[in-house]
Amino acid sequence: MTALDAELGAAVRGSDRAVTRAEVEDFLFAEAALLDRQRYDEWLALFVEGGRYEVPTTDAGATPASQGGYFVCDDWDLLRARVKRLRSRKAHAENPPSLVHRMIANVRLLEREGDELAVTANFIVHRARDGRTNAFPGRYVHRLQVTDDGLRFRLRRAELALEQLEAGARLSFIL
Amino acid sequence: MTSPSLSPDPDAAPLVVQDWERLAFRVHRRAYRDDALFAAERSRIWDRTWLYLGHETELPNPNDYKVRALGGRPLIFTRDSTGELHAFLNSCPHRGTVLCRETQGSSKHFNCFYHAWAFHNTGEVAAIPDPSAYADEEYKASMRLREVARLEVFEGFVFVSFTDDVPPLLDHLGAAADYIRMIGEQHVAGMEVLPGTQLYSVRGNWKLAVENAMDGYHFSPTHNTFVGYLRESGFAVTDDDQYAYNLGNGHSLLILTGHGGRISMLWEPRFGEDERVRTAEHRREMELRLGSERAHLVADESHILFVFPNLLLFDLEGLSLRQLEPVAPGNTDVRAWQLAPRGEDPAVRDLRMRTMVSFVGPGGLATPDDIEAYEAVQRGIEATAGNGRAELDYSDMSRGMAADAAGERGRSTDEGAMRGFWRHWVRSVGAGGPVDIGTPPPPRPEPTPLPSSRPHGLDEILAGTETPAGQEEVAAR
Ligand code: FES
Ligand SMILES: [Fe+2]
Repeated sequence: MTALDAELGAAVRGSDRAVTRAEVEDFLFAEAALLDRQRYDEWLALFVEGGRYEVPTTDAGATPASQGGYFVCDDWDLLRARVKRLRSRKAHAENPPSLVHRMIANVRLLEREGDELAVTANFIVHRARDGRTNAFPGRYVHRLQVTDDGLRFRLRRAELALEQLEAGARLSFIL
Repeated sequence: MTSPSLSPDPDAAPLVVQDWERLAFRVHRRAYRDDALFAAERSRIWDRTWLYLGHETELPNPNDYKVRALGGRPLIFTRDSTGELHAFLNSCPHRGTVLCRETQGSSKHFNCFYHAWAFHNTGEVAAIPDPSAYADEEYKASMRLREVARLEVFEGFVFVSFTDDVPPLLDHLGAAADYIRMIGEQHVAGMEVLPGTQLYSVRGNWKLAVENAMDGYHFSPTHNTFVGYLRESGFAVTDDDQYAYNLGNGHSLLILTGHGGRISMLWEPRFGEDERVRTAEHRREMELRLGSERAHLVADESHILFVFPNLLLFDLEGLSLRQLEPVAPGNTDVRAWQLAPRGEDPAVRDLRMRTMVSFVGPGGLATPDDIEAYEAVQRGIEATAGNGRAELDYSDMSRGMAADAAGERGRSTDEGAMRGFWRHWVRSVGAGGPVDIGTPPPPRPEPTPLPSSRPHGLDEILAGTETPAGQEEVAAR
């Protein structure tokens, strides 16, 4: 049991079964399809209860979300508030929704500890809005919970490979 | 007062129209998109005024440095080997190469890669290869790093000026100084800037970002989803009894009590029960340290402070500093830092980060809608540009102008703070400038900020916790 396990409780039962890279890829590709179509409720269901979503600032390095400035450091409460907001017509920054299109590659399985699997992948998200397109390259560094019927996010973390968010590139969508 | 509709040439139309009869205040939209005006702002504001550079806690140790730009000029902000702060032009005195190409770090020297000149972080020349080719030692010494003309520090906030011809910093800050001082008084150990800078850029003129920060009118409609989140968490969001002030020299202030609590000072339900207990303890410490009157001012009110021309201080649930760096008429770089008490309890720090980032910043639940607003303004004002109907090419900021006329404080949901900003802008850009700014607006007395009378939240904080002797007055307020 990792510390996070204890913190999250056992809302979903973990498993120590083996996981292949193909399974992780399928999981990430399916997630990407949900996000590209703004299917946020289904996306939220990919998290364990108590899951987190983080986007560190471009200069944050290894600073943990609890100790420095981040672009996004959503706990479960804020993550649900974010999804609720995105479903609202009053989320002006995403109404109309941005056109987003994401590519995921270089998927790698990192450490495995009990039912927790660390994975990393490269991404490029293209976002078109207001006649302009921004590209967001970066790296996912997720911590997944392995269950008998699939994978879930405990920590979904997107690290940008940018020096700063360029003009118009606010993170009103999910990176 | 000149009516803009009488001007046949749109470029001759006054930039700011202030009509005290009709209580109308309008700003010509070319102020947000005109290249000549942008150049005038650079030379008449950015090159002539104190500018916020950074916070001294960003450079905790000798030899630390950060690279950033102000008014388009690349700078190295460093603490030299003797501990003194400098702002060097990040440009080699030899032929102008960018000297430091890292964004931050620690170094006793800055070395130019081009011809290998080297400089101490005190500015002196350390080495010039083959120096015998130059006239003498004196010539060599004259090649020291170029510095900004002035650098002064107030309560840890470092300001610089590119000209000597500025008043002392404290005179420039004027009435804004006390609101900066209050930040340091929040915690006995003082405040520090945290790592993790939100670096982003918006497709909007810098003045739209200033207006937005001083605009309580937009809060409910623009931040509808965030207000909904606060309400659901049990917070009574209100715009009542909140005011906006012009502090002189272009600085302005919103005093807010109804938009959110304040970590460790003013509890609200979403902060949780542990924080409620910690808040009560911290408030007692504040009362003892500052006295109840001052503690009330420091703790119970949220402030949005604009320090002309480039610093926005969001003293809300937590503290976020925002520096505006205009890049082009329709493009602004923003740097935002979180300021937090030194040595803060990790649990509080965690709460602070989540709470503050959840609101402010380009990935939060609220700021993206602000950015959407100023980007949408920047696109929208093209509709009336140069179409020969000059009277349409104005943005209206008349809301609550009767208060200006009467010399009364304006509500936060009015546009008085914006008007104060624009009046100062006219004085700055217009004085002897290359642009016709129309008839300058007449001076009017500015009301002095008054503390909010609402006993906001204090009762709730102290409810259920023991009130120490001598604190009844505070609890009852
Ligand atoms: S330009 Fe720097 S050494 Fe020549
Ligand atoms: Fe706002």
